[in-house]
Amino acid sequence: MRSFLNPLFALMLAAALAACSSTPTEDDSSATDDMSQQTDTSPVTPVEPSTPAKPDTSSIPLTADNFYNHPSNYDGTTDSRVIYFAFDSNTVPAAAFETLRAHATYLKNNANAKVRLEGHADERGTREYNVALSERRSKAVEKFLRVQGVSSSQIQIVSYGEEKPAAFGHSEMDWAKNRRVEINYTAGRP
Amino acid sequence: MKSEFWANKTGRIGLAVILMLSALTARAELLIRVTEGRVDAVPIAIVPFEGAQNAPEDVSQIVQADLHRSGQFKPLPAEDMLSRPRNESEVIYRDFRVLGVEYIITGSMKAQESGGYEVSYALFDVNRQVKLMSETYRPPVSQLRDVAHAISDRIYEQLTGIPGAFSTKILYVTHNRKAASPYQLQYADADGHRVITILRSKEPIMSPTWSPDGRKVAYVSFEDDGLPAIYTHDLATTSREKVSSFQGINGAPDWSPDGQKLALTLSRDGNPEIYMLDIATKQLTRLTQHYGIDTEPRWLPDGEHLVFTSSRSGGPQIYKLNINDKSVRRVSFQGAYNARPDVTPDGRYLVYVHRRNGNFNVGVQDLQRGTFNIVTRTDMDESPSVAPNGSMVIYGTQDRGTGVLEAVSIDGRVKVELPSKEGEVREPAWSPFL
Repeated sequence: MRSFLNPLFALMLAAALAACSSTPTEDDSSATDDMSQQTDTSPVTPVEPSTPAKPDTSSIPLTADNFYNHPSNYDGTTDSRVIYFAFDSNTVPAAAFETLRAHATYLKNNANAKVRLEGHADERGTREYNVALSERRSKAVEKFLRVQGVSSSQIQIVSYGEEKPAAFGHSEMDWAKNRRVEINYTAGRP
Repeated sequence: MKSEFWANKTGRIGLAVILMLSALTARAELLIRVTEGRVDAVPIAIVPFEGAQNAPEDVSQIVQADLHRSGQFKPLPAEDMLSRPRNESEVIYRDFRVLGVEYIITGSMKAQESGGYEVSYALFDVNRQVKLMSETYRPPVSQLRDVAHAISDRIYEQLTGIPGAFSTKILYVTHNRKAASPYQLQYADADGHRVITILRSKEPIMSPTWSPDGRKVAYVSFEDDGLPAIYTHDLATTSREKVSSFQGINGAPDWSPDGQKLALTLSRDGNPEIYMLDIATKQLTRLTQHYGIDTEPRWLPDGEHLVFTSSRSGGPQIYKLNINDKSVRRVSFQGAYNARPDVTPDGRYLVYVHRRNGNFNVGVQDLQRGTFNIVTRTDMDESPSVAPNGSMVIYGTQDRGTGVLEAVSIDGRVKVELPSKEGEVREPAWSPFL
């Protein structure tokens, strides 16, 4: 982006920035993967869904905005190993409930099985702050599993922030793919 | 104002061996480009040193590149010089005054029988027509670059009153995801030359920082089973020690000014809090108590206070902590996102990441006058680190989707790019004076 600015425009921009830089900057809360304003009371105790029959989801378009909650990302079994999150959120998406319950059931039935919940954030914001934010996502998934009765000794949490992206681009869709918790079995893999 | 030059001497004809060596090393080096200089940069003429053409390193070129890179000097191209004095007796001030040049540097490089070089230089004031200083060094070939940077430091201090920071190093993380060990921790001279790799890893390396004596670094590495741990690492002996590997986050180390403690972030007690680790005794002291995120601590020069990022008021803001009574006071008030502070050596300015209109930029807050200035204008700027003389801030940003380093003067008037040729470069940490 910067490389397309011509030098004159760049100088004008610099002057404009300098002129306004000591005035209060506008307070936008729109552009970071930041759920720190949320309290830690995310709805992790789901109500049983009333419609057990799987709806046909092929007609729902997949966008960066609904990616985290799109049925195509979760198959309801332990084969699904990635839980996605909305922008600025550490709320476990409803579309992932069935998948997480499958993991919980498996873990309860296999006491030797262990999972590592690896939390990730998108690239926006500072690196260590993103590590802290990604820990909140892992903890939300941990809480879900614990509420289902999984023993804490079967769960380990590690927080990578933006250091291990799944998608390497810089678009909204790349960011949606990177806001995630990966469920990795370190023992007793299903 | 856009001018470009290569920090390494690609155009020079020298011994085949030297050309081969530079071809081998140039790949990994950071190439420096001054994208904005000051309009009032001081015109200076660095006359090519006598004998430098045949030397393995051209000291006059290195000095010229250093002074140019500061943004405060505008070197006169050698081809524009009306005369090329080799010493004081050959200086014709008029030849430089008509070109608007204010200072002249002359010098020579003479090969010694011992295998080293004798490097002499002199600095002249064109308007007053006097010699301001002159010195002679006798380094081995391996230290020619060090001598060049030392000369730059001396000249910079003579002309600006501020010690030069050309003899310092930059520590940084590289990421090349196609490599067998994608994550590397490296350091290089402040001009990007002489890269040394400290650590290669398949797992992330984060948050590198220098000890106050410049002999050690600390960093976060996930090398051990993908879990984070903080290491201290002696650069000369390459011996290292794992100093923190608690459950949860082990992050954001920062060395205390006396070198005896690390401030760090741990989530062992449930959520991220700031702790202080005594490196010798391993005694751990918890400094913050809050259910929000507390992280990214940085010591103030007094050794009694830290600044850090906290979400205790909602989004991230900068707070100041007294390590004795653990009292906490908010310091940043503009905008909804302020994080990852660094501090100038005099403690006067805070430098941190500020979000505005969805862009992340580096802002400078003057703690004395209370003013705040945004000094960068790309859109993913992060990890600002202040030079030990307080003149420049180096930071990570993105250029066409790739992580690169840039530096900006604390007043925002000078901008320098250090693009890497391969992979991502990020999290720069400027060394103390070495």
